[in-house]
Amino acid sequence: MIMIEALRGLTYYKGVPLWRHALVIQWALQIISGVIVVVLVTTFFTNITNTIQDREIPHGFSFLSREYQTPIGQHFLPYESSDSFLYAFGVAATNTIIVSVVGVILATALGIVVGVARISGNWLVSRTSLIYIEIFRNIPLLVQLFFWFYVVLALPPVRQGYVIADRIYINNAGLSLPWPSPSNWDAAWVWLAVALASIIAAMVLYHALTRRETLTGRASYPLVTGSVIAVAIAVAGWLFVSAAFGDAPFAISDPAPQGTFGRIAGGFTISGGLMALLAGLVIYTSSFIAEIVRAGIQSVGRGQTEAARSLGLAPMAALRHVTFPQALRVIIPPLISQCLNLTKNSSLAGAIGYSDLANVAKTMTQTAPAVSIYVLLAAAYLAMSLTYSLIGNIYNRSIRLVGN
Amino acid sequence: MASATDTPPGVVLPPPITERGGVGWAYANLFSTWYNTVLTFIYAALLGVALWFGLSWIVLEADWKVIATLGGRLIIGQYNTEFACPGQNCFWRPQASLLLVSVLLGMAWAVSGDKAAKRIAIGVAAITVAFAFLPYSMDQMGLDVRLLLVANLPAVAAGWVLARYTPLGTVRWIVILGVLFFLVILVLVGGLPGVPGLQPVSTIYWGGLMLNLLLAVTGITLSLPIGIALALGRRSSLPLVKLLCVVFIEVMRGMPLITLLFMSQVLVPLAFPQDFSTNSLFRAGVILTLFSSAYMAENIRGGLQALHPGQVEAARALGLAGWQTTLLISLPQAIRNVIPAIVGQFISLFKDTLLVYIIGMLDVVEFSRAFIQGNAKYLASARELFLFLALVFWIFTYTMSYVSRRVEAHLRVGHR
Repeated sequence: MIMIEALRGLTYYKGVPLWRHALVIQWALQIISGVIVVVLVTTFFTNITNTIQDREIPHGFSFLSREYQTPIGQHFLPYESSDSFLYAFGVAATNTIIVSVVGVILATALGIVVGVARISGNWLVSRTSLIYIEIFRNIPLLVQLFFWFYVVLALPPVRQGYVIADRIYINNAGLSLPWPSPSNWDAAWVWLAVALASIIAAMVLYHALTRRETLTGRASYPLVTGSVIAVAIAVAGWLFVSAAFGDAPFAISDPAPQGTFGRIAGGFTISGGLMALLAGLVIYTSSFIAEIVRAGIQSVGRGQTEAARSLGLAPMAALRHVTFPQALRVIIPPLISQCLNLTKNSSLAGAIGYSDLANVAKTMTQTAPAVSIYVLLAAAYLAMSLTYSLIGNIYNRSIRLVGN
Repeated sequence: MASATDTPPGVVLPPPITERGGVGWAYANLFSTWYNTVLTFIYAALLGVALWFGLSWIVLEADWKVIATLGGRLIIGQYNTEFACPGQNCFWRPQASLLLVSVLLGMAWAVSGDKAAKRIAIGVAAITVAFAFLPYSMDQMGLDVRLLLVANLPAVAAGWVLARYTPLGTVRWIVILGVLFFLVILVLVGGLPGVPGLQPVSTIYWGGLMLNLLLAVTGITLSLPIGIALALGRRSSLPLVKLLCVVFIEVMRGMPLITLLFMSQVLVPLAFPQDFSTNSLFRAGVILTLFSSAYMAENIRGGLQALHPGQVEAARALGLAGWQTTLLISLPQAIRNVIPAIVGQFISLFKDTLLVYIIGMLDVVEFSRAFIQGNAKYLASARELFLFLALVFWIFTYTMSYVSRRVEAHLRVGHR
C-alpha cells in the first residue's frame, strides 16, 4: 500500500530532489548500516564455523556432561573432580555470585558510612573520608588486589598465625571463623523453616502496624514489635525443635589447627585469595559508592529540609521522611551500576587465585570447545547484568514521581 | 571634620576567642557538639595509630630495593632486551618519544596559560631530570640515557618558545602536532624495516608503563568520537540505527572487559584470515577502545538528555539544519556538562589498560608480578613493589582529574 502511494506520489513529485529528501536519506542510511552489520556478523560467524570445520576443532555442547577432572580452589558447593563440566560451571558461577553478594553488601555499607562522613561538619572526619575516596578510587583495582594478595601471603603460617579469643584464626591460609554447622539435618531444616516463617510474620506485622500508624496517627512501634515477634518465634522454635529432636538444630563449630603443619579444621575458612579479593573489591567499590551517596544527599535542596522543619517535623523525622527518600532517588540508579561493576570486576579474581566464573571458564577452554564456553560465559554475565537492570527498573518504577 | 568626641566610637570588642583564629576554627570544625568532640578524639586516635604503624613500616621495615632493581624496566618492560632489540641499544627510542611529549606539554603551557598546564609541564621536566641523577653506576645507566633524560627540560622550553613566538601557538596546531607526534612515536617505538637504528620491535615486547600509556592515549582519543557517534545513534529517530547502537552498547557494558579481551584472543583469529589478525596487541587495543566507547556513549547520552529542549527548538527556529543543531548547539553543551563523567571514563580506561595481562602482554603490573613470581628472593618485597605502583598510577589518575577540574572551571567562566 505504502509503496503504491509512494509511486503515485513520484509521478507528479515536484518537492525536494530525492537525493536530498530527509526520508530517503534516513532510510538509505538505515538500510546501508543494517546491511553492513548483517554482512559483518554473518561473515564473522560463517568464518568461525568454517574454521572450526576445517581445522576439526571440537564444538557443540556435548562436553557439558563429561567429567571436568580439574580441581577448583575454594568452592561453596560440594565439588569433586569427577563432576561434570556443567556442574563445575555452576560451582564457579556460585563462587562469583557469593563474592558479588557479599561484596555488594559490604561495599554498600562501607560506602554509605564513608559518604555520610564525607559531608560531616567535623573537619577531621570529612577530610579522612576525602583522602580515603581519592586514594582508593584512583588506584587500579588490579594493583590493589595484588597488594592485598601479597599482604595475605606475607602473613605468618598457620601455627604462628594470629589467634583472636582462641576462636578466630588469621594466617596465610586465610581467615577462619566459628560457624554454625547443623548437628541434625532434619532439625536444622525444620528450624530454618520456622525462622523463615517468623521473618515473614514479622514483615506482615510491620506493614500492618505502619499502616495503622499512618491512618490513625496512634504510635504503634512497627519496627520494635516486628523484631521482637520475629526473635520470639525463632527462639520458641529453637527450644521446641531441640526438645522434639533431642538435639539442637545447629551447633557452633570452632576452627582449630591440626597436625604440625597446621591445617585448620572446623569452622569456616575464607581462603587467602577470597580474602584479598573481597578486601580489594569492597574498598575499591566503596570509594565510588561514597561519592554517589554524598552527591545524592547534597542533591536534595536545603529548602526541603527547612520546609519540613517549619511544618513541625523533628530533625530525625525530616531526615527520614523528606531528605532521605529524595536522596535515595538520586543514589539508587548509580549505586546499582556500581554493584554491577563489582560483579564484573570480580572476574579479576583469577589473577589472585580465586576460582570465579571467568577464571574457571578460561581453564575449561583447555579441555573443551572454546566457542561453546564463551557462549555460556557471555550468557551468564549478561544474565547477571540483566538481573541488576531488572532490579533497577523495578525500583525506578516504584519511586517514579506521581504525575510524571 | 567632626571631632572624635561628637560621635564616640563604640568600643569594638574583639570577637571572643572561641569565634576567631585557630581556636575558633577548631571550635567550629572539630568540637561543635559533644558527638563531634567524641568523633574527633576517636578519629585522631585511630589516625595516629594508623600513621604510626604505616610510617614505621614504610621507613623501618619495608625493603624498597626491588624498585631500584627493576628501575627502567618498569617503564619499558622487555623492550630493550636481547630478544626484542638484538645487537642494539633501543632505550633511546622510548626516551625520544618522551621528548616529543615534553615539547607538546611546553606548547600546552604557553597556549593555555593555565597553572595546571604549567605545573604538569614543569613537573614532568623536573621528574625526568631528577631521574637522570639517580645514583646508579654508569654501567647500569649510561651517559646517553642520562643526557636524554636531562633533555626533557630544554624540550619543554623549546615547546614553550615555539608556541609563544611562532604561529604554531594555537590549540589547533597543538592538536595537529599531537596526532603527528603520536604517529611518530608509534614509528619510533615500533621501528621501520630497513632503516638503520630503527629496526622493528615486535609488539609482544612492548611493555611496562609505556604500554599502558600508549594504550590509554589511543583508547582515549578514539573512544570519544566513537562514543559520540553511538550516543547520537542511540537517540536517533531511525529505529534500525537506534537498535544497532543499543545492542552494541548493552552487550559491551554487560560483559567484563577481561572476558571480552580473552574472547578476542580466541574468537577473532578463528573468524578472520590468519595473516590479518596475528597482532594480539592491536586486537586488545580495539577491544579496549570499543569497550570504553560504550560507556562514553552512555555518559554523553546523559548530557544530551539533560539539555533543555528549548536549546534545540531555538536552534531549529533560527533555521539551523539538523546536523548544525547537533554539532553546534547540542553536542558542545552536552559534552561540557558531562566533562567530569568523560574524564572519569578516561581514568577508567587508563586503569583498564592493566587488563592486557590476560592476553600475555607484560604491562607494568604484569611485568612486576612476573618478576616477583620468577625471583623468589623478592617475594617478600612484593608489597613494597605494588605500593609503589599504586603511587605511580595514583599520580597519573589524580593529574587527570585535576586537569578535568581546571578545564571545567575554565568553561564555567563565561557560563555562569
